[in-house]
Amino acid sequence: MNAPNLDLVEETKVAFDVEAINEIIDNIYHYLSKHKEYLNGLNVFPVPDGDTGLNMVLTMQGAIAHIQKSEETYIHSGEYLEDFAEQMLLNSRGCSGVILSLFTQGFTQITANNDFSKENIYRAIENGYQNAYNGTENPREGTMLTLMRALKEKYAELMPLYDNPLTIIQQSIPYLKEVLNQTPEMLPVLKQAGVVDSGGAGFVVLLEGINKELSQYVDNGIPLHNLLKTAHAIQKLLKKRLKKAHKDQTALSILNLDFSRIRNSRLAEAFQNAKVALSNFHLNHNGNGKTISREKIIGDLQEIDNSWNPEIKDKFCTEFVLETDQIKNKDKLKEKIGHYGDSLIIVNSNNKYKVHIHTNKPNDVFEEVSRYGTLLFTKVDDMKKQHKNFLSDDVVDYERDKSIFCIVSGKGFADILKNLGADDILCYGKNKPSVNQLVKGLNNLKAKNVIAASDDSDILMALKYAASLCKANVHIVESDNPISLISIMMSISKDYDIQTTFETAMNNLENIRFCGIAQSSRDVLAEDGTQVHKGDFFAVYKKKIVLSNPSKNQLLTNVIEKIVSNNNNLVTLYKGANIKNDEQLIKLLKDKFPSLDFEEYYGGQLNYLYYITFE
Amino acid sequence: MSRKIFIIVGDNLGLSRQQINYDALEIVKFPVFVGETEYRQSEEYSASWLISKYENEKVVAKSSTLIHNEIAEIVERNRANYDLFIHVVMSSGLSAASFRVAENVKKQFENIVPIINVDTKQAINGVGNIVLGIIDLIKTQPDLSIEELEKACQQIVENTFSWFVFSDLEYLYRGGRIGKAQSLMGSVLHIIPLLGLMGDEKEGIVLAQGKARTFRQINDMIINQIKAKMQEKSVTTIKRAITLQGYGDKNKEAIAEFMEKIKTLPCSEIIHGEGGLVDAVYCGPGAYGISILL
Repeated sequence: MNAPNLDLVEETKVAFDVEAINEIIDNIYHYLSKHKEYLNGLNVFPVPDGDTGLNMVLTMQGAIAHIQKSEETYIHSGEYLEDFAEQMLLNSRGCSGVILSLFTQGFTQITANNDFSKENIYRAIENGYQNAYNGTENPREGTMLTLMRALKEKYAELMPLYDNPLTIIQQSIPYLKEVLNQTPEMLPVLKQAGVVDSGGAGFVVLLEGINKELSQYVDNGIPLHNLLKTAHAIQKLLKKRLKKAHKDQTALSILNLDFSRIRNSRLAEAFQNAKVALSNFHLNHNGNGKTISREKIIGDLQEIDNSWNPEIKDKFCTEFVLETDQIKNKDKLKEKIGHYGDSLIIVNSNNKYKVHIHTNKPNDVFEEVSRYGTLLFTKVDDMKKQHKNFLSDDVVDYERDKSIFCIVSGKGFADILKNLGADDILCYGKNKPSVNQLVKGLNNLKAKNVIAASDDSDILMALKYAASLCKANVHIVESDNPISLISIMMSISKDYDIQTTFETAMNNLENIRFCGIAQSSRDVLAEDGTQVHKGDFFAVYKKKIVLSNPSKNQLLTNVIEKIVSNNNNLVTLYKGANIKNDEQLIKLLKDKFPSLDFEEYYGGQLNYLYYITFE
Repeated sequence: MSRKIFIIVGDNLGLSRQQINYDALEIVKFPVFVGETEYRQSEEYSASWLISKYENEKVVAKSSTLIHNEIAEIVERNRANYDLFIHVVMSSGLSAASFRVAENVKKQFENIVPIINVDTKQAINGVGNIVLGIIDLIKTQPDLSIEELEKACQQIVENTFSWFVFSDLEYLYRGGRIGKAQSLMGSVLHIIPLLGLMGDEKEGIVLAQGKARTFRQINDMIINQIKAKMQEKSVTTIKRAITLQGYGDKNKEAIAEFMEKIKTLPCSEIIHGEGGLVDAVYCGPGAYGISILL
C-alpha cells in the first residue's frame, strides 16, 4: 500500500486525505471480514445459522458503501467518522451490528471535535460504551458490552503509562482477550454451548484490525495540537519585526522540527514555506531570491488554525456562485454575508463569486445575495447529517391509517403472511436486513401507524432504530420466530384500531405451540443432558434442546409424541429451504398418529429444517 | 286496550314459521336465483336442496331483494285489522335495497297506518332472534307507545350478536355480502374464519371476529367471545340463543361439538334454528353459528 497522504499523528488528526482514510477503513473491514466465519461459528445453538460475523461485516460494508462521497479531497476526521458512524447505524444488521454501531456513534460524538488526544479518546470510548449500553434492552454481562466496558477500564488504567491512544488500545487487547475467554462464565448459554460470545469476539477482532492498520502510522506523525501551537508561533514570529526573530528560541526550535512528518500535503507545504521564511530570515533577510509572501504564509497558517474547528456551530456547509455587477470585490461581499456564519471563503473571477460558508441560515444567505445579482448555483449540506433524510423534505403523505409489516427470512412464510393479511413483507433471506432497508420498508408502507414484527430477535434492535428514523408511528411486536407472526396475523383483524391491533398481537404471540428441527453442526450437550452429536437432528422447544436423534424421521416421531397434547388435533410442518426427499414424511406421520391431522407448507426458513406447530 | 301489531319479516331469519309463536306475522319469501331461474322457499326448494346443488353441481346462487308490491300487499291486506306494522329487515349494511324497499312501503302508507322498520343489523338467525325479541316485547309490554316500542326494538337490535362459521366464504363473496379480501381469509393454511354481526356496531356489516385452524379452536373462540360480550354488557344470562346448523353433512363433528359447548352457556332458551332456502345461499355447505340476545 502506498503511504497515505495523512497528517495522522500520535494523538490527534486534522483534515486528511479522504481516499487514504477510505483505504484504511476498507482494510479494517477486510480484516474483520477475514474473521467472519470464525465469528459465525460462535453460535449458541449448533444450528449452522450463526451470523454475528456476517452482520458486523455487512454493517461496516454498508457504511463504506453509503458514506457521503465528499467532493473535497480533505475532510475533518471527526466529521468523517461521525458520518461513518451514522452510516453504520443506518446499515447495521442484527444485534451485533447495532451494538457496534451504537458504540461507534457514541465514540464519534466525542471525537467530532477532531480532538484525538488520549484523554479525549478515553471520553470517546466511555461515551461509546454508554451509548451502546443505553441502547441495548436488557444489557447483559458476557456480551460485546462487557468487552466495551473492559476496554474503557483497561484504557483508563494504561493512560498514565502511554501518551499514544493507539498504543493504549494496542496494550489493552491482550486483556480484552482474557475477558472474552471469561464470557462463558458470565452467560450460561455460552458455557453450555462451549463458545465465547461472538459479538465480544467480533469487537476484539475489530480492535485488532484497527490496531494493525493504524499502528504503521503511529510513530511518524506530529500531534495536531503541536502543529497548531507551532502555527501560532510561526505567525507571531512572522508578524514580528524579523530582525529580532533570530534571538527567539521558539524560531530555533521550529527550524529543528522535521516537517516532512506532516503527511498532509497542504499542511506540509504551508509549514515548509514558513520554515523557509524563517530560515531565510536567519541567513538572509531578503530570502535568497525566492519569493515567498510573508502575508501568504501567515494567511495559510491562519487558515489551518481556522480549519480546526472543534465545535460545528454552524450546521450547513453552504456554497453558491453569484453573478453580480453590483458588488465590486470580495471584501464588499464579505461585509454583506460574513455575519451569517464562519469558514467564509470567497473566490472571485470577473463578475462571478464562488462562495463557501458554514451557516445555520443558508436561505437567508441566498436571499441576501440575490438582491445583488443572480445565483447561478447553490448547494447546502447538513454537516451534522443527522437524520438528514428525515428532517428535510419530510412531507407527510400517508395513504392509510395502519399497516402490518412483517420481516421474515423464508419466502414461504412471506407468502403465508401476505395471504393472512400482512400489508408488506420484507423477505431478507440469509442476510439480516439493515436499519436502512427496514426504514425503507417502513416508509414504503405510507402508513401513519405501523405494526412491525420480525421472525428473529436479532433483528429487533435494528428494527427499533429503523422505527426511530421512519415517518410512521411504529409499534414493534417483539416476536422472534415465524410461527409467532402467523399467530399474530391469525389474531388481529383489519377492523381493529392501532392500539387494539398492537395489544392483540402482543397478547397472542405465543398462541401456537411449536418446535424447530435442525441438524447439529457440532457436538453439544443440552441443558437437560441431551447429548447432540455433530450431524444429529435435534428439536428445540421453548428455546431449549429437548430431543436429538441421528434419524430425522425418528426424531420427528419422538418430538410429536413428546409435545402433542390432548387438545391438539392438527400438526403442521413448515418446511425449510434445505429440505429434500421428504415426500413420504406426512404419510409416515399419519400412519403413526392416525388421530391427528397433518398439513405441510413451505416455509423456506434457513435455520431450521422444519417448524412444527401443534394446534 | 292493547295495540294490535302485525309483523312482517323476510324468510332469511334462520327460523321456520313453526318456530315463531305469533299469529300476526307473515314471512315474505326472498327470490333466489340459481342461474337464470327464480326459486322461492318451498318443501321442494329448501336449504338442503340448494346445498345439494352446491355440492353436486357447483351452481352459483344469489338472492334478490324483497319486492315492494309484495310488502305493500301484505300491509294493504291487513291494515284494517291492525294498528301498527313492524317490518323486521335484514341489516341495511348487508342489503341497503331491502331496507329502502321497506322505507318506501312505509312512505306509501304514511298517514294510513304506522309502520316501524327495524334495521336489525343482522342476517339469518340474528334476524330471527330480533323477531322473537320483539314478540316478547309486544307480549310483555303491550301498552308501549309507538315511540317507546321503536326505541325498545332498537335496544333489542343493539343486544343481539351473531357468530358464523363458514367452510367456504366464496358463497358470501359471490352474494356480495363480503369483499374479495375477506373472502380470501380462509384461502391459506386452511384457515377457518369466524365472522360476526355485532348489534352494537354501527355499520351492520359482517366483521371478522377471528381465525383458527381447527374447529375446536374456533368453537372455543365463539364461546369465549360470547362470555366476553356478556361480561362487557354486564349480563349473567343469555335471554335466547338461536343456532344455525344443518347445511349438509359437512363439519358434522365440529357442529356436534359446538352444540355441546353452547349447552355450557347460561341461557334461558336455546332454539336450534331451521334455516330456509335463502339462508343457504350465503352459508354454503357445513356452515354453522349462533345468535344470542342479551
